[in-house]
Amino acid sequence: MGLAIETIGLVKRYGSLTAVNRLNLKVEKNTIHGFLGPNGAGKTTTIKVLVGLLRPDEGTVKLLGQEVHGDMPDVRLRVGYMPELPKFPKHLRGWELLDIYGRMYGMTKQERMEQIPKLLDMVGLKEREKDFVGKYSKGMQQRLGIAQALLNEPELVILDEPSLGLDPVGMVEVRELIKEVAKEGRTVFLSSHLLFEVEQICSHVTIIHKGESLISDTLHNVSSKLSGPATVQVELAKSSDAVVEAVRQLPFVSNITQDGNMLTIELKTRDNVRAQISQEITKAGGVIVSMSLKGQTLEEVFMQFITKPQGGKAE
Amino acid sequence: MSSKESSSWKTRFWAVVRYELLWNIRKKKFLGMVIVAFILATLSLSLPVLLSNMIGQPLKQNPDYVISTGAGIGGLGMFLFAVVVVMNSISGEFESGTIVPLLTKPVSRTMVFLGKLLAAFITLLSVYAVLFIYMAVGGTIVYGPQNNLHLLPLTLLGTTLSTFVWVAIVLAIGNMSKSSLIAALGTFGIFIALTISSPIISMFTDQAWVLNYVPGSGMTGYINGTTPQTPYTPGIAVATGTDNIATNLINYVLYPSSNVTFFKIGTLRGQTPQMVELYTEPLSTVLARSMLVALGFIILFLSISWYTFKRAQILE
Repeated sequence: MGLAIETIGLVKRYGSLTAVNRLNLKVEKNTIHGFLGPNGAGKTTTIKVLVGLLRPDEGTVKLLGQEVHGDMPDVRLRVGYMPELPKFPKHLRGWELLDIYGRMYGMTKQERMEQIPKLLDMVGLKEREKDFVGKYSKGMQQRLGIAQALLNEPELVILDEPSLGLDPVGMVEVRELIKEVAKEGRTVFLSSHLLFEVEQICSHVTIIHKGESLISDTLHNVSSKLSGPATVQVELAKSSDAVVEAVRQLPFVSNITQDGNMLTIELKTRDNVRAQISQEITKAGGVIVSMSLKGQTLEEVFMQFITKPQGGKAE
Repeated sequence: MSSKESSSWKTRFWAVVRYELLWNIRKKKFLGMVIVAFILATLSLSLPVLLSNMIGQPLKQNPDYVISTGAGIGGLGMFLFAVVVVMNSISGEFESGTIVPLLTKPVSRTMVFLGKLLAAFITLLSVYAVLFIYMAVGGTIVYGPQNNLHLLPLTLLGTTLSTFVWVAIVLAIGNMSKSSLIAALGTFGIFIALTISSPIISMFTDQAWVLNYVPGSGMTGYINGTTPQTPYTPGIAVATGTDNIATNLINYVLYPSSNVTFFKIGTLRGQTPQMVELYTEPLSTVLARSMLVALGFIILFLSISWYTFKRAQILE
């Protein structure tokens, strides 16, 4: 699988401040890649370099296999971008804005006529398409931002904090929208401070802190690498030493504690081994009332990373 | 997508022009300026009629009214139109943040710059054209049949070229400062400084030639009929600055071989100031120089604007 985004040794400085420091970023095609980091980590700066709003001081940037240097509008024909809290010209109507942007993408009239109503409908702005953008709320401008990022049916969609400014319903809708976009075979690269959002929709994650990439991998591997094994909690109908002993003998169990009818089983693995545990408990005569697998959330992983000394770089 | 084939430079460029034109014609300050210009044009046409009725004297026919008045815009009008059309053009995009979605579309910065420039040109040309037509019709109604109306397109082009000197200055200051306010105030400062200094330098020093090379009204001379002994009965006044290209074009077409004489105020004898002749030069020289100076300023300031815009980093 090729790379949609690749940066090699990317450096961006603002005076004496190094906002992005030798960043090596690889985003595989056809993935939803989350770009995480605390405020000031360098997420937006990196994205601005990717879309050509900022010039890198060092390093190379490739989008869809094409090296980007200077003002290269042709690369942007294949990329859709939604900035953080997008601002659009207030003097244009919603559909007018998309129509003009569509022309900038070189779309034919027929293509614009097909695509624009579809997108306005998708982001819930169909009823307000004839209103001036100046009359749109922040949330509506955010939705318009998503629509214009998808206008050219891009191969790569870059979203900077797509849920910012949206109400809870809007946030859910945006997440569903992103999933739909990814299903169509597009690559989505999104920065977000909402970890649960990333956890729900991303297949891959890069964590950036102080301009440096701390870890970049699949979401599953990121969680495993840092958080270690998961735990399984089992509620039994009746406590039994035989059950405890039987479970303790399983090769992937590192420790087991008992609190009344409740067993907490620490695992050496993050694989889903609930079926084997269940089988062993039943074999030892136990009756399971409930069972749940508990791993660290991305939020816990994230906090663990960025609070580690020296940025907590993972292997 | 099949649109890739049609995504030519031309299609994308016209999208930028359209984007900018819609902004220009929907700006409140632009609409306000157009309304004020039409009110002033109406007043200049109707006041003489009202006054002549009040004093009971019929208004004299003047077949040269329209060609000598043009759109009646003048230096201040051109300056104001330049400011209201382009003060927000690029700096406003930076201030509002709308530059971000614009520059991430598949349009180069040069294309955006040229598109905005063409939109400003079209906007100014259209407004001036409508004003000229209004004045031509009004002038014909008030002052009778008019001569040389076929020269109006020349006036239109000259006025637009003159205005573009101010457009270039506003854009350059705006692009460097990224502030619409500084663009407007900075240009206003230049305009006022030159407007105040021009007549002083022109009338009291031997060095008035310097005004030939700065934006604005420039140095004033007279075509024919003016002598140092008859300073207050001059011939046709000719201003050499970049604001007067339209008038000079018309004068040149009407009096192609005429010369322009420049004076300064010499020693005062009693109550009558004595005019001292400085030099005389052909009108063609005055016209060619004012056009070259205008083009020079336009190219210089637009180059500064373009380079600044091309190199700008979008931090916000």
